[in-house]
Amino acid sequence: MNERTDKLISNLLKLGSIIAGLVLWHVLAVYVVNDPTFLVSPVVVVQTAYDMLFVNGELYPHLFASSWIFFYGFVLAIVIGVPLGFIMALSTTVRDYVNPWMSTLYTTPRIAFAPVLLLWFGIGGGAKVAIVFLGCFFPVLINSYYGMRVVNREYVELARSFRLTSRALFMKILLPASVPFILAGIRLSIGRGLTGVAIAEWFGATEGLGFLVFFAGQTLNIPTLFVGVASFAVLGMLGFEIVRRVETYATPWGKQSQGG
Amino acid sequence: MPRNILPRKELRRGAISIFGGLALWELLARLLLENDLLIPPPSSVLRSFWNLAVSGELNQHFAATLFEFVCGFTTACVIGVIIGYFMGRYKRFDEVMDPWIATLYSIPIIAIVPLIIIWFGIGMISKVIVVFKITAVAIILNTAAGIKNLDPVWLELAKSLRLSGWETTYKIRFPGALPYIITGMRLGVGRALLGVIVAELLAANAGLGYLLRDSSETWDSPKLFVTVFLLAAMGLLSFNLIKRLERRLAPWRQSAEWSTE
Repeated sequence: MNERTDKLISNLLKLGSIIAGLVLWHVLAVYVVNDPTFLVSPVVVVQTAYDMLFVNGELYPHLFASSWIFFYGFVLAIVIGVPLGFIMALSTTVRDYVNPWMSTLYTTPRIAFAPVLLLWFGIGGGAKVAIVFLGCFFPVLINSYYGMRVVNREYVELARSFRLTSRALFMKILLPASVPFILAGIRLSIGRGLTGVAIAEWFGATEGLGFLVFFAGQTLNIPTLFVGVASFAVLGMLGFEIVRRVETYATPWGKQSQGG
Repeated sequence: MPRNILPRKELRRGAISIFGGLALWELLARLLLENDLLIPPPSSVLRSFWNLAVSGELNQHFAATLFEFVCGFTTACVIGVIIGYFMGRYKRFDEVMDPWIATLYSIPIIAIVPLIIIWFGIGMISKVIVVFKITAVAIILNTAAGIKNLDPVWLELAKSLRLSGWETTYKIRFPGALPYIITGMRLGVGRALLGVIVAELLAANAGLGYLLRDSSETWDSPKLFVTVFLLAAMGLLSFNLIKRLERRLAPWRQSAEWSTE
């Protein structure tokens, strides 16, 4: 009983906070600011979102363009990042030689590479995919490296005492043990990849969500700007949730691996 | 002492890798490509760096970015810790704040930069706000988690020592949450650096992001690479600084070799 009222109060507070915030926003936009090039009421934003989704369907081409760029960069990052992480974990020589370059690339703000990549690949799809790739690559690489490094010693010793071949050791012990880490890396890379999409589409794009936001900002089209920002947020949460589902499915032993 | 030998070997290999890579780059750029625009050799990047440094141009842009970053970061630390503390302490406050913090957290920073520029102009204030938003959210979430996850034994100890409310906060809760706060700061640094550069790139008249844009629009590749290298150095430096701080303040926390952002 007590617990139930507590939960009720908690939900009411959350709901109240959201409603109060929206009302405040509305009042601020309509009565205080009263300038549609500066701030618009949430009602207008919802209206615009509705129009763009169901009436004129303006959002879909942008969504579609961004999804492709994201998809290519993301898959490429996994395909290259996971094996490279494994190789670095299994061979200290490779790790020592590759590490300085990787940690430098990793800690550099990604935006710095955008103009360079544009210079090399042109304003077509290549540069955009490369920017997304750079965003997704490092969490995947680092986590697959780390996952393989921290495999429980006892498992490896067990494998040794069973005289497993190194191939079997890899397939039966090392690979499954690092799966949760890799998935955590993939989960982190979604947000970074979306940021990459936004950055990539600022330079010389004609469609895509990043372009939508950028163009709306340049033309002071605040409702569209809000819709674009919200689409990014929704996509991020959606991707995050999907990977989390995969995680609980793929690693039923449920070790909460570390990451973010 | 194998622990002493190993890093030296690692260091040697790292140095070989970096210098070998740079030498290879120089050779390839000089002999094969001979196109300064596409891939300038490291030597012309270095020359460009020297010219920029001597003329004081670099200094001015660097100072602008650093100033924006420090202003936003310190305010975010103070306000973030305070809000996070109250969110960790009082469940009701947490429930009121949570939907908004979660929303702010899930919006990619890059996407709201145009909005912030419309609201706060193209001057320094908009960049400070960008840095503030990014860092504050990370610190609030981590501080709240740190206060919530405090070992109850410590609080009982405080009670049995008859510590006052203020003393409990100052001597038990705050130090207990410190490792979490530092983690929040570390997460904030990388993203805030990205945010400030993006904001400068979009609209500014000074700062490294502006330099990046300026050099790419004038096809001045050596200058572009100078900026890229400088940003790489800044990222590496701030990352290692905060990692060292983390190790000193929270040595019991094991963290990944390269902690994920």
